[in-house]
Amino acid sequence: MVRTLWALLAAAALAAGILSGMGAAGPARLERNIKVGIVDTYSGPPAVFGNDALNGFRLALSEINRDGIHGARIEFVTRDEKFSPEIGLSMARELVLQERVDLLVGTINSATALAISAFAREQRVPFIVWISKSEAITGARGHRYVFSTTENTAMAGKALAEAMVRKGYTRFWIGAEDYEYGHAVTNSFWRFMKRLRPEAQLLGQTWWRTGEPDLVPYLTQILQARPQAAFFGTGGAGMANVLRTMKVIGFAERVPSAIHTAIDVTVLRPLGTAAPEGVFGTTDYLFYYPDTPANRKFVQDFQAAYRDPPGFPAFHGYITAHFIAEAYRKAGSLDRERFINALEGLRIRTPVGEVEMRTCDHQAMLPLFFGVTRRDPRFPFLVAGDLVTIPGRDAMPTCEDIRRARERAQ
Amino acid sequence: MDPSAVLGQLLVGLSRAMILFIVSAGLSLVLGVLRVPNIFHGSLYMIGAFVAWTVAEVLRDRAAGLWVALLVAPAITATVGLVVERTLLSRLYHREHLMLILFTFGVMLILNDLVKLAWGPTYRSLVPPPELQGSTLVLGVALPRFHLVLFVAGPVVAAALWWFAHRTRVGKIARAAAVDREMVAVLGIDVSRVFALAFVVGCFLAGLGGALVAPTTSITLGMDHALLIESFLIVIIGGLGNLWGALAGSLLFGVTQSVGLLIWPQFAVAFPYALTVAILLVRPAGLLRSVW
Repeated sequence: MVRTLWALLAAAALAAGILSGMGAAGPARLERNIKVGIVDTYSGPPAVFGNDALNGFRLALSEINRDGIHGARIEFVTRDEKFSPEIGLSMARELVLQERVDLLVGTINSATALAISAFAREQRVPFIVWISKSEAITGARGHRYVFSTTENTAMAGKALAEAMVRKGYTRFWIGAEDYEYGHAVTNSFWRFMKRLRPEAQLLGQTWWRTGEPDLVPYLTQILQARPQAAFFGTGGAGMANVLRTMKVIGFAERVPSAIHTAIDVTVLRPLGTAAPEGVFGTTDYLFYYPDTPANRKFVQDFQAAYRDPPGFPAFHGYITAHFIAEAYRKAGSLDRERFINALEGLRIRTPVGEVEMRTCDHQAMLPLFFGVTRRDPRFPFLVAGDLVTIPGRDAMPTCEDIRRARERAQ
Repeated sequence: MDPSAVLGQLLVGLSRAMILFIVSAGLSLVLGVLRVPNIFHGSLYMIGAFVAWTVAEVLRDRAAGLWVALLVAPAITATVGLVVERTLLSRLYHREHLMLILFTFGVMLILNDLVKLAWGPTYRSLVPPPELQGSTLVLGVALPRFHLVLFVAGPVVAAALWWFAHRTRVGKIARAAAVDREMVAVLGIDVSRVFALAFVVGCFLAGLGGALVAPTTSITLGMDHALLIESFLIVIIGGLGNLWGALAGSLLFGVTQSVGLLIWPQFAVAFPYALTVAILLVRPAGLLRSVW
């Protein structure tokens, strides 16, 4: 009895001590607002993506700054890199050295992202990549100061390889646009395909220049080679050309085809009915799927603010802001190293469910959605049907893969 | 190699050659008659495509939308050409080539920014009318039905240009001026008018090429770059200022690319350029007689 009393007293004393200790330090307060420096493309064709991401980021800030983070708000400044790594790097330098931003965010251009990443490492400034999809960013060339809140070519290649193997396709022709992303996504697809099915056959490859206006000769040639299935490495306006040509010559009906982001709204919406049905694709965000309250709310709020439904960049911008806010909330300090420690392993609720920032490579564990293009009477453009969610854990390379890739790169 | 595959690739290569011909014929005409390397030719091609898209959007519910677009787009680029020629270019003819290149390069930058202002950075899609959608099987190859329009347009443009150059007075003067400008002026002919007309026709062809390509591709900023380079190469391998050289160059360029795909698909993009090098090694002045 006495012993219990003593124990209770001790516990009470301890609790009081903790409380008073906390009182002495006070609840964490940030001494000033958090300043985010955004470098992205705001001119030329890729500006569509840059602006969409920025809108998503702004929407999240309007939610975050309502309550603040330990008494502080998130502010941001933007710089237009004009899709050039040189300009992007000098912008990042200016933001860190002159504007004194707390962290950097950007960009759509993988080459710019990698250049800024090297600079961020040297300056020990956190840098969050939100659109560009090169797997090198958090893979071979990843480090403590770089994070990614977007899916990457490794995840896309792995998810598509698995999906196509499940459909029984192993004899492929690869058609791709001759630029960084085209090479990265096809390499990744084929690497995972060979890992899953060592007997898989690459029947041939066809490459075309970026901006090639007429793809009919290219796709006709692939049709004539009669492969079992095809994989295409392309994006943006080039992707639109591939899909349009496929529809016109009836490609997808004869050769099952897979393209990362082919089911994406930003791709299918501008094409209207010029897009073909039956093309397999993956993406990490769709405004109509998953049909959950969280996603519906995000879409509603976004449309109320910007009219159009959010594309995948908007989703990335939105979760980037929430990752930043949560990490500062957890760190309780503007210290960059503490911010990074807080961001590692952090889980936040997003429109597509809970997403974790993986500690080993700083890659957000985003789920991917695999589906096939089809018409839907609700929309004037094609959407994705037969959707399957591939959890981030399954689509991502393992931490062991990442460790090995980084060792090889050194 | 499967002979039907070769025939099929030849066919799709020919349709590509038609666009290349229409655009590079305009470039060649301006080069031949005015001696102006028109760097903004590609911009006019892009403007042609964007205008065609806008016209087709406005007349979306009319069956004739696309056909109207095919007339309006080149008319607008021809007007742009006329304004630029009368207000600025005509004052610079006596300057050296470098100045002319710098001038037309400057106009290109201005036009491309105006396109960005007018249409924004997103790419556009022009869906052809239902009767021209889909494809027709020709020689076992699914040939896009719209490409049949190109097969008509290419020869029509070639015939019209031949008629212009050989059967009209102004065409004959233009040809004469291309060979010896001073002599024509000495004969008391107002060369300036002829130059303006040739320039306008050249710009018209750039716009027509853009409008014709619009239903087959993504209409986007930057679509002018690739085509401008290809057109210059074609004009160079054909013989500067020679319309038939432009035709020969376009056919070779388009067909080498499409047939090259059967030989080595991974490096097919290099074939037309390898051909250019080969031709220039053998015939440094181009295939046909250059007017320069």
